[in-house]
Amino acid sequence: MSKKNIIVVGGGISGLMATMKICEAGGEVKLFSYCPVKRSHSLCAQGGINACLNTKGENDTTWEHFDDTVYGGDFLADQTAVKGMCETAPKLIKMFDRMGVPFTRTPEGNLDLRNFGGQKNKRTAFAGSTTGQQLLYSLDEQVRKYEVQGKVKKYEFWEFIKIIKNKQGVCRGIVAQNMNSMEIEAFRADAVILATGGPGVIFGRCTASTICNGSAVSAVYQQGAEIGNSEFIQIHPTAIPGYDKNRLMSEACRGEGGRVWTYKDGKPWYFLEEMYPAYGNLVPRDIASRAIYDVCVNQHLGINGENRVYLDLSHIPAEYLERKLGGILEMYSEFVGDDPRKVPMQVYPSVHYSMGGIWVDIKHNTNIPALLASGECDYQYHGANRLGSNSLLSASYSGTVSGPEAIRWAESDELGEELTDAELAAAKKECSDQFEAILKMDGKENAHVLHHELGDLMNRYCTIVRKNDELDYCFGEIKKILARWNDIGINDKGRWANQEAMFIRQLYNMIIYAMVICKAARMRDESRGAHYKPEFPNRDDEHFMKTTIATYNPETNEPEITYREFDHSLIKPRPRRYDVSKGGKK
Amino acid sequence: MAAEQGKKIHLIIERQDGPDSKPYTEEFLVPHRPAQNVVEALMEIQKNPVTKDGKKTTPVVWECNCLEKVCGACMMVINGRARQACATLVDKIPQPIRLAPARTFPVIRDLQIDRSIMFESLKRIQGWINVDGSWESREAPIQDPNKATTAYEIAHCMTCGCCLEACPNVGPQSDFIGPAPTVQAYLFNLHPFGKFDEEKRLNVLMEKGGITSCGNSQNCVEVCPKNIKLTTYLAQLNRDVNKQALRNIFNK
Amino acid sequence: MFHTTFYIRRLHSLCGIVPMGVFLLEHIFSNSEALGGPQAFNDAVARIAEIPHDIMLPIEIFGLLIPFLFHMLYGLYIVLQAKNNPARYGFSRNWQFAIQRWTALFLFVFLFVHVIDLRIFVKGGGTPITYGLLHMMFSNNLWFAFYLIGMLAAIFHFCNGMTTFCMTWGIAKGPRIQSVINWLMMLLCALMSLVTIAFMVSYRMH
Repeated sequence: MSKKNIIVVGGGISGLMATMKICEAGGEVKLFSYCPVKRSHSLCAQGGINACLNTKGENDTTWEHFDDTVYGGDFLADQTAVKGMCETAPKLIKMFDRMGVPFTRTPEGNLDLRNFGGQKNKRTAFAGSTTGQQLLYSLDEQVRKYEVQGKVKKYEFWEFIKIIKNKQGVCRGIVAQNMNSMEIEAFRADAVILATGGPGVIFGRCTASTICNGSAVSAVYQQGAEIGNSEFIQIHPTAIPGYDKNRLMSEACRGEGGRVWTYKDGKPWYFLEEMYPAYGNLVPRDIASRAIYDVCVNQHLGINGENRVYLDLSHIPAEYLERKLGGILEMYSEFVGDDPRKVPMQVYPSVHYSMGGIWVDIKHNTNIPALLASGECDYQYHGANRLGSNSLLSASYSGTVSGPEAIRWAESDELGEELTDAELAAAKKECSDQFEAILKMDGKENAHVLHHELGDLMNRYCTIVRKNDELDYCFGEIKKILARWNDIGINDKGRWANQEAMFIRQLYNMIIYAMVICKAARMRDESRGAHYKPEFPNRDDEHFMKTTIATYNPETNEPEITYREFDHSLIKPRPRRYDVSKGGKK
Repeated sequence: MAAEQGKKIHLIIERQDGPDSKPYTEEFLVPHRPAQNVVEALMEIQKNPVTKDGKKTTPVVWECNCLEKVCGACMMVINGRARQACATLVDKIPQPIRLAPARTFPVIRDLQIDRSIMFESLKRIQGWINVDGSWESREAPIQDPNKATTAYEIAHCMTCGCCLEACPNVGPQSDFIGPAPTVQAYLFNLHPFGKFDEEKRLNVLMEKGGITSCGNSQNCVEVCPKNIKLTTYLAQLNRDVNKQALRNIFNK
Repeated sequence: MFHTTFYIRRLHSLCGIVPMGVFLLEHIFSNSEALGGPQAFNDAVARIAEIPHDIMLPIEIFGLLIPFLFHMLYGLYIVLQAKNNPARYGFSRNWQFAIQRWTALFLFVFLFVHVIDLRIFVKGGGTPITYGLLHMMFSNNLWFAFYLIGMLAAIFHFCNGMTTFCMTWGIAKGPRIQSVINWLMMLLCALMSLVTIAFMVSYRMH
């Protein structure tokens, strides 16, 4: 193979950014995705992308951005990596601007910047309320150019099944399945980048797209890749609960004067204002989530006994709301059918983002040689909690690192032997056999019902408040679900566009990943960032300022948890408090 | 949010097992919930794939990702009209609800369709800004904020295909690339670098299947789920290609 | 880069206005003379007949016949490109789009019958077109209905064509101006239709 041949799995911002970098370095990319890459989940990011551009006269610095990110992440992020990201951020914005992202502009034509949670300075560049969509599209367009030039071959509607290692244990290919024709194929590569996004769908209903199931991450984990910090799942306090998914209701609603309340003794109770008189409705995400959780779950005061509270804007003049929140309110009307200008919205916290993911080094190498991971599917940059608008940054930045690193692998002499035809055939056969077995499943369980139960379980025990006895119970229940997976009965035995069969395979991977999240949460006896245990309400730097590493034990199907030191050489840890100086609110 | 006792939604779904199979209909009754949308109703069928008459069947196949009306995946024909299934509340449309694939495109299975033609059209109109590279080269140019607002509006297009499905001039009988890809050409022509390739894009639009195939039915602007003023930009592009035609004749 | 499709399409659009639209207007003007009685109409026809044959024939062939045939034949091709769907998408513009194509199909037949009958057989055969002749013709209910529908179809096709002309040529860009033009043209359509109905009825009176 004279050309450097890289496989990228996932066509969100990170995967596309990596693809672009590889093409620029003269490589060729096979790009695999569940869907046309233009429909990837990156487009759901609304708020913006952080970068210190310092155009608002606030003397903003990249160091300040770095510090905010590390502090916001409760000192669990690799500091050298974060510093690299923050220093590159302004260059990335300029790149996106040149590539045609329609950023919102000032009257003078400069990029406008807005405030965002956890940061004092205006540092968030944005394109209306659809920044992720616009960034994704601009990269999609650039990759389309390379596709026309023959440097990229897209495999859209292909599902990644597993990686293939050569005799030296180096990742030299993948097996994937065409989601329409159901043909299973093995592919060679010099290096493989996974950019497959987060695992939100493990929680059933969350703010993620239906494709964000973490299945690919789970698959490589079962093949020996380590997962880092998987217990850190960010919860967004205000989402519109839905049976299909939870839809994000922007923090801006509280920022513009929205009040959170529920009925107590027949009267409206503005519990955030009562519990936190200083900040009221503007408390940070984790505090707001915990308060709502407490009111609904412990005090059973949710609306009509269900897990939801009111987010009320109806006291604010409609004209003002229209100007400040127009698009967001329309979204609510569209999906709920009520007008939030007249009726209070109903919201509840929802799983939103996974800080954890495949463990990678600062160059985005996993512990498997020539397998890289970037974007939300890796564990880098956010530590124990992610700042708003840092996700688009980490997604694009990680692509600029993983892409060139994959090229380095392709040029290195550490690759070992290329996969033989026999090895490819064997890998393909293994996956085909597995798929055939799924098509023959004739038990009693329905895969989607089982998934629903898994989601309920994870939502109940592994989200806002975690207790060790409950986590133990939850782990046992997940194991039961894993056992019940074997008793699934498939309804669709066809060999054309069989979504159910693919879902059954994904569900298995989700259950395995769920165990990782649950076990990692059980083992971390402290409270840090998004991880909160009332039994251990404080941060315990002595024991737990370490990266959680989960390794798969094929004997038990369970994770083994260890802890690994990481680079925190630049900023000394200090307590993360949003009630003093480093203000966590707008 | 428990299902209201007894209340059911009646779905009549046009199904098709494969691209060349014969379509057939199946009817389903699924539990009703407040604020339920069409995707949610389809998800209920996945959990219990049994028809109205109690016959076991295969779960209905359709495409969806974001469920927030940004990805464009779940476009289908609902009660005769192309829409995003995720943003269609069952309580806001008459029952029984009839679902069908958007047959302007080849059907893959059931409600899932093959929209790759739209992405091919985006290649055809050279839908990208031809940057030197992703590396740092220079400051990005200042842009007129008003133009940027127009660009932002057009950049919302999620390639869902509603406008192509509704357009009477798009389909197997015609080679029109459709309103969405055509108007995307204008988006790139608006950009300070993008306009360097304006001539190329306009010449592509003058080819067979380009903007001349637009018959001004204006269905596109009526059905666009993103409220993009497609007809306005089509008229602007018409203006631009006419000028380009004069340049082609008199400047060479 | 010479885009045949583009130029043919634009030429097609232009032909619909000049000469076809203009010729339609001429017909309506001349025929509305019939409202003034047989003599007025015959005088008007006589005035046109004063144009020498050597000049009139080339005008008829190059200025009328060829553009008409081009517009009709290429138009037929355009009609075949559309799958009309106003039943599913009942927006007024979409109805107009569909009616534009249905009238086109009717006019295709109508114009052939009209030209072959009146221009080639009657006038070409040496019989001058007179009020009396038309009176006789339109006393037949079938001929009357055929011509009335033909005229109304032509008027709609022309007026709606003017609206789309403004869009196709990029004259009317925004939604407001497009809708204003559409309204004006539909108003014009109604007016021309009224005049046409009036003179058509008047042919049957005297």
